[in-house]
Amino acid sequence: MTLETLLQVAAGGLLMGLIYALVAAGLSLIFGLMDVVNFAHGELMMLAMYAVFVIWDATGLDPLWQLPVVAGLLFLTGMAIYRGLIARALSVPFNRGMVQIFVTFGLAIFIRGAAQFVWGGEFRAVNHTWLSDRSLNLGGVFLPLPQLAASAVCLAAFAGLLAISRTEFGRALEATREDRDAVALIGIDRDRIFAMGWGLGAGAVGIAGVMLAGFYYVGPNVGASFALIAYVTVALGGFGSMAGALVAGVLIGEVEAFTAVVLEPSLKQIGVFAVYLLVLMFRPRGLFGKL
Amino acid sequence: MLRLENLSASYRGLKALQGVSLQVSAGEIVAVVGANGAGKSTLLKSIAGQVATEGAIAFDGKSLAKVPAHMIARMGIGLVPEGRRLFPRLSVEDNLRLGAYARRGDPNRFKPLDLVFELFPRLKERLPQRAETLSGGEQQMLAIGRALMTQPRLLMLDEPSQGIMPRLVDDILAAVQRIRGLGVTVLLVEQRLAEALEIADRAYVLQTGRIVMSGPAKEIAADDAVRRAYLGI
Repeated sequence: MTLETLLQVAAGGLLMGLIYALVAAGLSLIFGLMDVVNFAHGELMMLAMYAVFVIWDATGLDPLWQLPVVAGLLFLTGMAIYRGLIARALSVPFNRGMVQIFVTFGLAIFIRGAAQFVWGGEFRAVNHTWLSDRSLNLGGVFLPLPQLAASAVCLAAFAGLLAISRTEFGRALEATREDRDAVALIGIDRDRIFAMGWGLGAGAVGIAGVMLAGFYYVGPNVGASFALIAYVTVALGGFGSMAGALVAGVLIGEVEAFTAVVLEPSLKQIGVFAVYLLVLMFRPRGLFGKL
Repeated sequence: MLRLENLSASYRGLKALQGVSLQVSAGEIVAVVGANGAGKSTLLKSIAGQVATEGAIAFDGKSLAKVPAHMIARMGIGLVPEGRRLFPRLSVEDNLRLGAYARRGDPNRFKPLDLVFELFPRLKERLPQRAETLSGGEQQMLAIGRALMTQPRLLMLDEPSQGIMPRLVDDILAAVQRIRGLGVTVLLVEQRLAEALEIADRAYVLQTGRIVMSGPAKEIAADDAVRRAYLGI
């Protein structure tokens, strides 16, 4: 392997890894806040990608310009999921853990089925975007612009999450995460905080979905594979840790890229899941885990 | 200001309160004393909306039934709970400022900080520290400070002396008296009979979920029967 190939593979891993990181950040945010694993996380990303496709198909509006709209839609979807399903699942008198798992798992199956029903099973693609078929040549290393833009946006979204965590609302989020019963004593409505957390988590994965739609096929099952990688990323980075999601996302992206070269592209996920097994065996709380 | 009538509550399947009636008038310090397990904490949790109850609770004449806990806090009832329930990994400053979170939009909402620092100068020295690094007494001060940041009209304290050094107990009880002096009504739950009755105007004695005696704190303190009831003999 020449140095140039090595750099090319590493760059590809980095670009993809930043997207994985943002998907994982949304998952980790919700889990860290309220100990609920959102099994429908990948399906939220899929919804965002279909939204991009539908809007692009109807109006020709470039995915990049759709970003604020679709991210906003996903934010509202996340809040609605909390208010409509999760809040109810949290208030059941017994077997709460199982109910939480089944409610998001069922939601995932529902969204996937609904997508198949509405848009059919075939793959769609957003062709001819403003950025498509363009790339940046960095001393022989080619960086496709759609991927580059996607990773830049994901990085910006991370900065946004960090900025939010520094605000007073971010402190309230952290307080709710530490003691969800005590916040009521100081007049904080934890349902509102939880709903906002779901909005932010869904918004984050929505942003990743919008940018991904610029260069990746769209289909009812597209979310599932990304969600699997997100679980590995969250486990590696540490549950509830934003910095962990960022570092682990990039690591996973690199592992995947290099596995594809060393073995073969169709086996690229072997490396990813090998990492997962290693984490479980040697550092179950992840790199930055607080648990 | 606060009136409970025939209040009953169950906590973890046990009847913790049975037909409790109690009144707190504006400006008073009222103590509720009783042995461990008498239902003192459940009483405060009931008022704060954290346990399901039967009977009537009225604050300023308004029923608190069906008011969610966070709205009760916004109505002006502050609870310093058992175990303090601080946010351990947040700084002292964040813990205090979050007390004013619900008043966003009010430009004067951080004003009570001055009062908190005046009452508990130690907290000012510890602002950037995580709450979990404070000593028991300092944590109690922080918990009271956080409750004061919500600008309560009724401050409820659940065993503020629990688990702290005797010297600090006096400091904290002195602070409670000063807080009352500023016009905040106080409902104090204590296991330490003598200290609680010393600063209270009136007192109720709670035994296995029922009020067995009430009256001016001085009379209760002088009554031998109280000690017997208190010890559960």
